[in-house]
Amino acid sequence: MPNSDSANNPSVPWYVWCSVAAVTFAMVGTHWDISWHQSIGRDTFWTPAHIAIHMCGVLAGISCGYLVLSTTFNPQSALRECSVWLWGFRGPLGAFIAAWGGIAMLTSAPFDDWWHNAYGLDVKILSPPHMVLAAGIFAVHAGALILILGQMNRASGALRDRLQILFLYVGGMILVCLTIVQIELTNRVVMHTAHFYRVVAIVAPPVLCGVARASRFRWAATSVAGVYSLFLILMGRILPLFPAEPKLGPVYHQTTQFTPPDFPLLFIVPALLLDLVWQRTQPWGILRQAIVSGAIFLGAFFLVQWPFANFLMSPAARNWFFGAKYFGYYVSPTSIVARYQFVATEQGALFAKELGWAVVTAVFTSWLGLAWGNWMLRIRR
Amino acid sequence: MKLLLAFFFAVALALAHVGSPDVFYEGDAGPYRLLITIRPPQVVPGVAEIEIRSTSADVRQIHIVPLRLGFQAQQFTPVPDLAQPSREDPQFYTGSLWLMACCSWQVRVDVDGARGPGRLSVPVPAIATQMLGMQKATSIILMALGLVLCLGLVSIAGAAARDSMLEPGKQPDAARVRRSRIVMAVAAVLVAGAVWFGNQWWSDEAGTFASRIYKPLRLEASVEGSRLALRLVDPGWINRSTDDLLPDHNHLMHLYVIRLPEMDRVWHLHPERQGDGNFAQPLPAMPAGRYALYGDIVHANGLPETATSEIDLPGIAGTPLTGDDAGGTAPPLASADYTRTVSPLSNGYRMVWDRGTAPLHARQASLIRFRVEDSAGHPAEGMELYMGMLGHAAFVSADRSVFAHVHPSGSVPMPALQLAQPDNPHAGHMMMSASLPAEVSFPYGFPKPGAYRIFVQVKRAGEILTGVFDASVEK
Repeated sequence: MPNSDSANNPSVPWYVWCSVAAVTFAMVGTHWDISWHQSIGRDTFWTPAHIAIHMCGVLAGISCGYLVLSTTFNPQSALRECSVWLWGFRGPLGAFIAAWGGIAMLTSAPFDDWWHNAYGLDVKILSPPHMVLAAGIFAVHAGALILILGQMNRASGALRDRLQILFLYVGGMILVCLTIVQIELTNRVVMHTAHFYRVVAIVAPPVLCGVARASRFRWAATSVAGVYSLFLILMGRILPLFPAEPKLGPVYHQTTQFTPPDFPLLFIVPALLLDLVWQRTQPWGILRQAIVSGAIFLGAFFLVQWPFANFLMSPAARNWFFGAKYFGYYVSPTSIVARYQFVATEQGALFAKELGWAVVTAVFTSWLGLAWGNWMLRIRR
Repeated sequence: MKLLLAFFFAVALALAHVGSPDVFYEGDAGPYRLLITIRPPQVVPGVAEIEIRSTSADVRQIHIVPLRLGFQAQQFTPVPDLAQPSREDPQFYTGSLWLMACCSWQVRVDVDGARGPGRLSVPVPAIATQMLGMQKATSIILMALGLVLCLGLVSIAGAAARDSMLEPGKQPDAARVRRSRIVMAVAAVLVAGAVWFGNQWWSDEAGTFASRIYKPLRLEASVEGSRLALRLVDPGWINRSTDDLLPDHNHLMHLYVIRLPEMDRVWHLHPERQGDGNFAQPLPAMPAGRYALYGDIVHANGLPETATSEIDLPGIAGTPLTGDDAGGTAPPLASADYTRTVSPLSNGYRMVWDRGTAPLHARQASLIRFRVEDSAGHPAEGMELYMGMLGHAAFVSADRSVFAHVHPSGSVPMPALQLAQPDNPHAGHMMMSASLPAEVSFPYGFPKPGAYRIFVQVKRAGEILTGVFDASVEK
C-alpha cells in the first residue's frame, strides 16, 4: 500500500543508495583483494582493495546509524511508524541487520590480526576470522535487501519499480557474496565431481528462490543470476587490465597483471528455467514448489556446467574472456590446476550417493529460500 | 570459548643451534663487505626482519628478496624490496620479508654501489616455533564484541518476528510478542550451535598449527667401553628424515661434548654414520661425570638442526684424538672471570679476545674478534685452516638454554650456504694461502642477557688449539 513517505517523496531515499553502494564496494573490494593475493601477495591494511571493503562498513554505518538515531530521537521522523524496536532504539529492520554486519566486520579485524600473529598469515578464505568478516559482509547485504524490501513493500508505482530493480541487484550481489565463500570448493578442477554440485546447491537455490519470491518479478531469478554473471564477467575482464607483480615467494607463475576471478558458474540457465516454471506453478504450496525447483535447478545446472567445464579445460578457454589462462603466482606448474586436469570423479555408488545428496540439498535449500521469500513478502518495516 | 582456552605454547629452540634462532652472516656481495642479520619469524607464514651493515661507504642501495632454497630453477623471483638506510647510520639498512612456507629459504641481497653491482644469498630456516596466546586486552575486546554480536542476532530475530511485519503505526499484540520470544529462543539455540561449531573449527585449526610447530630431533646416547653410540630420533614433525644429511666440512655431524655443570672440559668431535640416524664416536680420555651433547646436522634441503642430549659417563681411558677432533680445558664456570680477555694455549701461546670496553648487549650483531699470540705477544705464525675455516666457535649460555656453533662467516651452516650460492664453491670458506692471519672474528649476537661461555678453536702448526672465554651480556 502507498504510504506517506513514498507518496511525498517518490525518489529512492539516500540511505538506500548508500546501502546499495556499500554492497557494491564490498564485492568489488573482496574480488579485488582475492586477486591482489593471487597476483601481488603482500598487502597492508591500506591497500585499495581493503579500503573498498572498509567502505562497505563505513557506508552501512553512516546510513544505518543515521536511520536508527534519527528514527529513535526525532519524533517527527517519517520512519517512526514503520520501524522495529531493539535495545531501546527504533529503526528499519534492515538498518539493524546491516549495523550488526558492520560490528561483525569490525570484530573480524583484530581477530584476523591476532590469527595471523598466532598461526601465521592464512593464505586461504575459509578460516574462522574470515568467516566472521564474511558473516558481517553478508549481513550488510541482507540488511540492504531488507531495507529496500521494507520500502518496496510499502511503495507503489514508479518508486516500487525502482526499488524492485535495486532489490534484484542486491540479490545478485548476495549470490556473488556467497559464491566467494565457496570459491576454494568450486574451482574448475572439481566440476566433474558430484560433490561440487552438492556444494553449489547450498547457496544458489535459496538466493534465487528467496529473492525471486519476494520481488514478485517474473524474471527475478534470471535477473539475479544475470547480475551475478555480469559482475563476475566485468571483474574478470577489468582486473587483468591493471599491472601487478608478485611481492611474495615462491613464485611459480610470473604474473604481470591482476589475476581475474574464474568465469561465472552458469546459474543463468537454471535461473531462467526456474522463472518459467514459477510462472506456471504459483498456486502450488512451497514444499511442492521446492521439490520441483530443487530438481530443476540441479538438473539444469548439472547438464550445462559439466560440459562447460570441459570447455574451460580446453585451449579454447585460455583467453582474456574465459580467463582459463590466468593463474595465481603461487600455483605450481605441476599442480592439477595448471595442468588443466580434473579431480577424479567419484565412482559408482559414491557418485550416485553424492548426486542424490546434491538433489536433496537443492530441494531443501529451495524450500528454505521459498519460505524466506514468503516471509520477506510480509516485511513492512 | 576458545578465547578462554588460548594458551602459550613454546618449545626449546633447537633449530640450527639451541635458543639462538637469528641468522648471522658476514660475506662479500661483489666488492662490498656486508654483515647481515636475519631474524626469522616465529610463525610461518611470517615476517623475517633483515638488518644489513655495509662496511663500504659507496653502497647506493640494497634490495632484498626471499627465495625457496634449492629450487632456483623452478621459481621466479618476486619483486625485491628496497632495504631502508638508517637516518643515523647510512651504512645500516633494514627491511622485512614474508617467508610463506616451511622450511628452507634464502634471502638474496643485491647491492648497487659505486663499484658496480654485487649479490649474495643467505640461507634462513622458516619454521613455526611457537603458538602465541591471546593478550588479555584483545581477548576482552573480542569477547565483548562477540557477546554483542550473539545477543544482537537473537534480538534482531526477535524484532523481526515481533515488529517487522506490522503495518505502519500498529503495535504488536500478545500473540506476536509470544511468537517473538519463541523465535528468540530458537535463535539463541542456533547462535549457541554456531559458536560451538566455530570453537570446534578454531580448535581444529589450532591443532593443525600445533602439529607443524617445530619438534627438535632427539639424540639418544649410550656408551660401550670407550665408544659413544648416538641415534637421531624423530619425535614426529612434518616429513623430516634422518638419512638425508649433507656433509658439513666433510662431516655429517659436528658434536660438542661439554662437561657439566662447570663446562671445564670441551670436545669438538665428528661421529661417523653407522646407518640411518645412527652414529658412533671413539671417545678420548675423559673423566667421569655428566656431559651435555650438541650434535649439529644439516638436512638435504639445507635445514640445519642441533640434536641435544645429556649422558653420565664413567671414567674413559679412551683413544687419542685424531683428524679434526679436538678438545680443551677451561676454568670451572663457578669461578668464571667475565673480564678475562686472555686464554692460555699450549707451548706458551695464548688467545686474546679483542672485546673493547663497551658492554655486550643482547640481540646486537657484532664481530667478536680473537687473536692468537706467541709467548712474546706477537701475532702467531703458522696458522692453518681448521676444517676450511680460520676457526670455529661455540657460544653456550651458563644455563645451557643457548648453544650456537658459529664460523667466521657466521651462524649459517656451510651446506646450506652452498645451496644458496651454488655458483660460489668457496662460499663461507677461506682459501688456503701461505700465510694466514692470526686473527679470527665471528659474526654473532647473543640472543638474551646472561652469562655465556665461548669456546674458540683454531689450528696452528698441525695442532688444534682451544681458547675459552666468559661473557656477561646485558639487556
